[in-house]
Order: sequence, then structure tokens, then C-alpha cells
Amino acid sequence: MLLNIVVCIKQVPMVTELPWDEKTGSLRRDLSSGMVNPACKRALEAALQIKEKHGAFISVLTMGPPAAEEVLREAFAMGADRGILISDRMLAGSDTYATSFILAQAIQKEVSGYDLVLCGAYTSDSETAQVGPQLAEELNLPAAAYAENLTFSGRTLRVRRLVDNFRETLEMELPALVTISMENYEPRHTSFAGLDKAFQNADLLFRNAADLHITSSILDQHSSRTKVRKIFLRKSQKDNIIITGAAASAVDEFLDKFEGRIGAVIGKSIEAKKRG
Amino acid sequence: MIDFAASFFYMLPDLNAFTVFTGSNILQYNPSMKHKLIRNATRHFAEMELAPIAAEIDQQRIFPREILAKMKPLNYFGLQVPQRYGGANLDSISAAIVVEELSRICAAVGLCITVHNGVAVYPLLKFADSRQKETYLPLLASGHAIGAFSLTEANAGSDAGSVETTAVKNEESYILNGTKIFVTNGGVCDVALIFALTSLPDKKLQSSVFIVESKYPGFLRGEVEDLCGMRANPVSSLFFEDCAVPESNLLGKLGDGMKIGMATLDNGRLGVAAQALGIAQGAMEAAVKYAKERQQFKKPIASQQTIQNYIADMATEISAARLLLYRACELKDSGAAFGCEASMAKLYCSSVASRVTSLSVQIHGGYGYSKEYDVERYFRDARVTEIYEGTSEIQRMVIARTILSQPVL
Repeated sequence: MLLNIVVCIKQVPMVTELPWDEKTGSLRRDLSSGMVNPACKRALEAALQIKEKHGAFISVLTMGPPAAEEVLREAFAMGADRGILISDRMLAGSDTYATSFILAQAIQKEVSGYDLVLCGAYTSDSETAQVGPQLAEELNLPAAAYAENLTFSGRTLRVRRLVDNFRETLEMELPALVTISMENYEPRHTSFAGLDKAFQNADLLFRNAADLHITSSILDQHSSRTKVRKIFLRKSQKDNIIITGAAASAVDEFLDKFEGRIGAVIGKSIEAKKRG
Repeated sequence: MIDFAASFFYMLPDLNAFTVFTGSNILQYNPSMKHKLIRNATRHFAEMELAPIAAEIDQQRIFPREILAKMKPLNYFGLQVPQRYGGANLDSISAAIVVEELSRICAAVGLCITVHNGVAVYPLLKFADSRQKETYLPLLASGHAIGAFSLTEANAGSDAGSVETTAVKNEESYILNGTKIFVTNGGVCDVALIFALTSLPDKKLQSSVFIVESKYPGFLRGEVEDLCGMRANPVSSLFFEDCAVPESNLLGKLGDGMKIGMATLDNGRLGVAAQALGIAQGAMEAAVKYAKERQQFKKPIASQQTIQNYIADMATEISAARLLLYRACELKDSGAAFGCEASMAKLYCSSVASRVTSLSVQIHGGYGYSKEYDVERYFRDARVTEIYEGTSEIQRMVIARTILSQPVL
């Protein structure tokens, strides 16, 4: 069984503090260097482990600016067989809906007879966790999200995943799409010989919108349905509130202000206990 | 609403004006995409594997064998060895980047790698015959054997011509006798290049280099030295007591010692420069982080102009040092003579490392003088980069000699 696997990866900023432009609401990608999104790297590791165990041909797909070639080179160094970079100014600013449509076009056009599509469960720069499931819809594939383990029995894929503090195991027939969580599949370190080879004879395809037959009118139909209106840093701070006056009225005032929150903490309504 | 906050490791909301990112383009210079990926891969490895143990192995003087075992399949021991011998075939800037990034986290491991690659493997690549290459390069490139280079003796350091260890021809062997000191990797090396005095056919005494395996009878190791810095590296003496080395393990020709030694040291200096640069980078990043966190007079000390000046000087000197080093590496790969440029890089990078680590301790104040903080270790580690692989005084001698030997136009 030589599985034909597609791994979708995304380049994200390598930062410990995420910088953004407060005026436009977008990330200041120019300030940081890029890396493979951590969950996507685990999806690639899952594919590599399947390749080692069962044999597979791994195509890695990414969409981004020309510099996203880096993440494909890194994927080659880790053991991927083929890379596809979709890059076109026309596709810039795609939200998850548009992205999953474009990825689906690329997979259908460039990877014939795929058995399994793997994605990272979510990205460190936007955390929507939508692209994988949306891509499954576009490709009309059965899908499971947040997987921590994959096993095969013939053409049956068994997926174990952690949801809401319990584990469940799902089975589906190939072809299928699975998104990989951060629980398992710790990515291997990259070897230097691998990196050297990744720059020598790598099977790398560059595709633009026209190559994928994506015209502006098609893109309009699948254009981004969401728009980032505002972006802000979540701030928390302590606030001192001083209640003055007679004890009884102060207690009333205190309960008026805080009974909702106290109730939430102790798990029952305290309204009945109020005086009068 | 997209929840960006979920992916924050830590936030400093009041300090946006001073935000610096570990993946920042600021102070990162990668000549090509490949260099960038090599830097990222090494940085990731160092942060994941070395950062958690760096302070402990320094204090306890532990040679981290488990971590080195993980580095072997990743080609850390065969950085510039051709792939047919099991290496990664990297260019010299890439090799410098690897040593730089290891030393940014743990200079003692950076030292092990740069000595193995720079002064044990490199002379074999350059001077060994094909049998010696077939025998030793696969062993060394895979990390199954750790290499060392051994010139220094009690009475021979900067003055490499005063070596007293002898190698006397006896049938098909050379019999080595003598003592080598301050041998980096000495406590763990499997193969060492040993400089010894040999008698030439015309009865003149000149030094030659021998490939000596630690398993040869008469190869003995001294205690591991208790040093100021780089403490996780087992620096030791080596003793040779009637140690018989096969004649076929003579590197290059009889009497080639000085030639091989000088060529090897030129290359070793690139490695020490890279190491010093990595230490400086690590110390500066620690200082920047601390200056943003540390509050005095109700504001971060990074808002004080004096601290800003320190940071500006550190950043500028590190950037200049990096360019000087990469230029020397480029020159080496072009096949040109690079000894003078290697000496400049080594001289400058090591002095930058000493200045930057000292300023970094200063910015940390009392905490910088405590083993609780990494900068104390960086400060100790930086010092020796001005001493080994040729002192700063010797580097100036090499540079001045090169400049003065050129015709005045």
C-alpha cells in the first residue's frame, strides 16, 4: 500500500510576542521571520511516520508569498517528496473560506489519486481551525479534526482524538481528511544533509491563480466572507472599588454590584438571601 | 473575533515601543534562504534540547552524551564533509551559523562541535590521503568518533615551533612520547591529531602531525580541567608513553607540521569567531529581555538612555562582527587565502563577546553576577575566546604581518 498523502502547511511568524499594526488590524509580518506553523509541522510528521511504516508519497502544499518557498524546503529536508507553492497577488488576503477553495483547486489539479489530506488543526497566527474542515467540504471528503493518532487497516483509517476531556476513536474509509492537534507527533529535528538535498534536487512546483484556472470572477464567488474589523490586546487589570456608608446599605450595594459574579463562583443564585 | 491572545507565550502590553522578537529580522543576517533554514533548524534544536540543561552541565561539568547522540544523525559532526563520507557538505557560512546558534544557547557544546569539525575533520579533508579519508572521515562525520587537535604543551602555545613531544621511527611505526595540555574534547576524543617532533632525512628536527586513535596502547588521558568557562567540555591533558602509531597515520608529509598547523588554525579561528559571536548574541538577547522587564523608578530600565546606549553598542558591534566573519568564510570557500581575514574575525568577534557579555552582566545588575541568570555563564564562557586558537595578541601579529608584507602602492 503506497499511500498518496497531501499535507497542507502554512508559514506563520516566528515570534514570542505577536506584533500587529493597530491601524490596519493585520499582523506585521515584515518584523518577523517565518516558520512552519507548529500544528502543520506535526501533520507533516504524522505523514512521515505513515511513510516509514506503510510507504507513502508525500506532497506538501502551501499558499503564501514567494518567501513561503522556505517552508517547502524545510518539508523536503524532513522527508517530503514533492512541494507545491501557490503564490499570486490576486489571492492575497484570502480568509479561511477562500483559502480552502483555492487549496481544493490545487489538490484536484495537481495531485491525482490522493488518499489522505492532512492539515494542522489550527495556526498559531489566527487560531480559527477552519481551513481543514472547510477543505474537506470542498473536496467532499469525510473528515476528523484534532486527531492525535492515526492507524490503518487496509483502506480504513482509524483516528483517535481528544475532545472535551474524553478520547474518541473514529473510523473512515479513504480518501479522507484529518487535522492533527498538538498532542502527539512531535516533529523530528531537521538534518543538515537533508537541508542540503532540499536545495539541490527538490521536486518543487510554483503555481499561480491562472495555473489553477482561478479567474477573478470565480474568485469573486468564493471571495472572503469575513473581514477583520478590529483587533485589540486583551488587557486585565485590578480595580479598587470602595463602598462607603452604613454597613447594611453597603452590603446591599455590594450585592447589587457583584451578586451575578458571586453566584457564578459559588454555583447558585444568592438573590433570595438578600435583605428585604 | 479572532483570538490572537491564545497564542501568546508572554505579553508586555506596556512596552510595545521596545518589543523585540526572537524570530526578529533585526540582528539576523542570512545571506541565503538555505542559511536561514540552517539557522532556524539549529536554533530550534538548541532551544529545545540544550537550553534546559545548559546551566546544569556547566555547573556540574557534565559532557552531555545523550544530547550529542541526538546530534549525530543530524550531521552536526560532519558539517562540511562530502555526503559520500556521510557528511552534510555545507559551505563555511553555514558551518559558522551552526556553531553560532549552538553557542547562543550553550557555548560548551558549540566548542565540542567546532573543534571536532574545524580542527580535527578539516585537516583530514585537506591533507589526508585517500586511505586515511576512507578510514576516518565516515567515523568522524557520523559522530561515532569524536575528534581533537593537540598542539599545545607546557612550553609550546603561541610559539608552535617549541613542541617537545617526539615521534621516533621504529620499523613501520612512529613511537610517540610527550604530554599535551588543554586539549579540547581531550577527555572523550577517539581520534586526535598530535603534533610531534620528527627527525627528517637530513637529520633536521621538524614537527609532523599524526592521526592517533585513543585505543592505541600508550595513549593516556589526564584529569578533566576545572576551568572558568566552557565547563561542560572535557578539556584535559593527553599523555603519550611509547605510543606506537602506524606509519600510515602520518598526516601529509614528514615535517609538514607547521604547514598543517597553520592552515588548521586559520580554519579553527573561524569556528572560535562563530562561537564568540553566538555567545554575544545570546547575552545581548538576555540583556534586552531583562531591560524590558526590570522596573526601577517605576519604569523599565530599557527606558533609560544609558541602557539604550549599551544596547545600541552591543547590537552594532554584533552586526559588524557577523559581517566580518561571514566575509572570511566566503573568502575561504572561494579558495583564496583567508588567514588574515580569519584572524580579524576571531580577534573582533572575541573582543565583542567579552564586551557584550560584560555589559549584559552590568544591565542585569546584581542578578547578572548570580548563577541564577545565564549571563553569568556567558560572561565566563566569552573570556577564553580571546585566548584559545591563538590569543588576541597572536591574531594582531598575524594581521599586521600580512598587511606589512604587502607592497606599498
